[in-house]
Amino acid sequence: MRPLTRLADRWPNVPIAGGLLAVLLLVAGLLVIFQSAANYVALKRQQTEVQAQILAASVTAALDFGDVATAEEAVRAFGANREVSAAGVYDSRGRRFAGFVRKARPLPDRIEGITRSGGNVLDATAPVVRGGARIGTVYLQVEREPLSRRAARYSVIGLLAVMAALVVLVLGVAHTALRRANRELEARASDLGLAYGELQVQVEERAKAEEQLRQAQKMQALGQLTGGIAHDFNNLLTVIQGSADILKRPGLEEAKRIRFAEAIVQTAARAAALTGQLLAFARRQPLKPQVLDINARILGMTELLDRTLGERIGIVTRLSPGLCRVKVDPAQLEAALLNIAVNARDAMPDGGTLTLSTGEAPPLEDGRAAIAVAVADTGTGIDPEVLQRVFEPFFTTKSVGKGTGLGLSQVYGFAAQTGGEVKVASTPGEGTVVTMILPCSDAPPEEEAAPAAASAARRRGRILVVDDNEDVGALAEALCAELGHSVVRARSAEEALDLSASGRFDAVFTDVVMPGMSGIELAERLRERAPGLPVVLTTGFSDRLAEGGAGGLPVLYKPYRADALAEALEAVLAPQRPEEG
Amino acid sequence: MRRPSALAAAALLAALALGAPAARAQPSDLAVKAAFLPKFAGYVGWPGGGGGPRAPLVLCVIGGDPFGRMIDEAVRGQQVDGRPIAVRRLAGTEGAESCQLAFVQGANPRATQQMLAALRGRPILTVTDSRAGPARGMIFFVVEGGRVRFHIDQVQAQQSGLTLNARLLAIALSVRTAR
Repeated sequence: MRPLTRLADRWPNVPIAGGLLAVLLLVAGLLVIFQSAANYVALKRQQTEVQAQILAASVTAALDFGDVATAEEAVRAFGANREVSAAGVYDSRGRRFAGFVRKARPLPDRIEGITRSGGNVLDATAPVVRGGARIGTVYLQVEREPLSRRAARYSVIGLLAVMAALVVLVLGVAHTALRRANRELEARASDLGLAYGELQVQVEERAKAEEQLRQAQKMQALGQLTGGIAHDFNNLLTVIQGSADILKRPGLEEAKRIRFAEAIVQTAARAAALTGQLLAFARRQPLKPQVLDINARILGMTELLDRTLGERIGIVTRLSPGLCRVKVDPAQLEAALLNIAVNARDAMPDGGTLTLSTGEAPPLEDGRAAIAVAVADTGTGIDPEVLQRVFEPFFTTKSVGKGTGLGLSQVYGFAAQTGGEVKVASTPGEGTVVTMILPCSDAPPEEEAAPAAASAARRRGRILVVDDNEDVGALAEALCAELGHSVVRARSAEEALDLSASGRFDAVFTDVVMPGMSGIELAERLRERAPGLPVVLTTGFSDRLAEGGAGGLPVLYKPYRADALAEALEAVLAPQRPEEG
Repeated sequence: MRRPSALAAAALLAALALGAPAARAQPSDLAVKAAFLPKFAGYVGWPGGGGGPRAPLVLCVIGGDPFGRMIDEAVRGQQVDGRPIAVRRLAGTEGAESCQLAFVQGANPRATQQMLAALRGRPILTVTDSRAGPARGMIFFVVEGGRVRFHIDQVQAQQSGLTLNARLLAIALSVRTAR
């Protein structure tokens, strides 16, 4: 049952063209065979007629002279040919003169009795002629086709049919095999596809897992960061709050009042330095880059470093002459070098050598030329697992109170923000090398801005203070009033625009980051309405300022001191005097 | 004279009904021989064609005439390649130049032999009968097994410049050749 249905399944699969071809071959073969048979019969007929003519010629004299014996002899001679089935000689009157018959049916006595038989015989008659006169007739009958030849023909036909059937069969089998192979191939392809899909899923899961791991690490780092900030700030805030509480006591001695006020100022300054380092790591610190000679800067720092590192550590400088200039914030550069040096000092508790060296560095990835500033110590070195984390903010190996964990973070932020990079190489027990790669600058060197001359006679003016933060705004207002200016406060840029339209101001002191319109947009609007009105910006940090600059406007960075505010306002108020006067 | 003539005619008819088995209406040997004589012309080739292409072939009966009217009947209607056959009777070999065929029969075998010798070398097919003696012309009638047969002397024929058809040779009792 099963093989039968399988066969039935397979038969339709035999290509129609193949079957058709086999049938065509069969038909063509049959045509050739039948054509050849027809040709054979035609040839045979012709041969028979020629033989009849030969017989007629050979019996002419015998018939003429009534020599029956000779005529019979001649006829029998034809009978030796197995194919000749009958032969007869008839005289001029149509009577049989001599004859030969192989089969049972006798020759008729008279020529008229001969019927031209069809079937498997061929016959022919030929006149017997002597001297131009017909004296009789010869009749010859031969087998159309010998049995052996016919059998051979039929066997060839049979063979052809068998071969055609074989062709169809082979085609069918080959086709089936091909289909089976095809199915297997398809199955394999689909397996492969499934495997690929699984692989894809695994890759995605792995990527997801990695992403989760990264996220977890980020959260861990963030936790470390916020914890570190909280810890440091809590310390600083404790000092500030405690000092403020003491200051609030009535009847405090003048000396104590000054000491605690000074403590508040110093602690706030440390807090400002801390946030500055955070911003540096975040690469959001406002930079004041200058084009400068790195070697000169380093030489200028050696005395400071000498004092910082102490007597047990020697300082060696190996500076390559003729290096290109770099455009960096000099304060940040000094901070970075100092941070590295302090780490080096801590790594060399028993003393050692700090080597500062400069040199040309291979070009950066973007093709810019660069120089390298390397600081090497002969200290304890850094373990490989620690080495991976040295740039993480608040990551520190030092005991509490000895380090903030922000030193190398500042170095990293500084180098990155300058457009360069920083590398740390260390061999435990031999020392550490920190290398900063800084891009070259084509700009000419700048003179350091001369500190604004403190003006004895401070100028007074009408100041519009804009800040959305109530406390900062109130402080700015108080400071400005303390400096002798008349002050109007606005709590948003929109309010400031209204106020500037209604009253005349000598300067605008505005925060940058505010809900709604920013300080920079406010400055642009004011420039349209009152081109002569100077604007001073102030901000804790600002992406827009760090990236796009302040558009030429002076910026006072928070936290600022009263002196800094006084200088900034003085600077913008001063040029207006000659115009007014 | 009449009776033999009527008899001869009947015999001739019987002979012309050729191939008729001897058992039936037995014609005389003589009538058969008379019927055979003109037929030989169909199997002989003469040098130069034996007279003009349209001229009748001349069958001469030289010496005694055993056939009488039977020979005249035999040639009637007979043609060889479109040429009719004429019968001439000659007493001797004189005037035999016009003959293409000649039945030679002297009063005795010696006379027959002499006439044959006189015709020798001439383009004439000579025929003799064994009943008249042993002298053999190119064709020599005998009766064997009750049937009229003949021997052929190919040598004489060739000497006379005649060619004999192989079909004729095939039915002869014997053929004398140069070898």
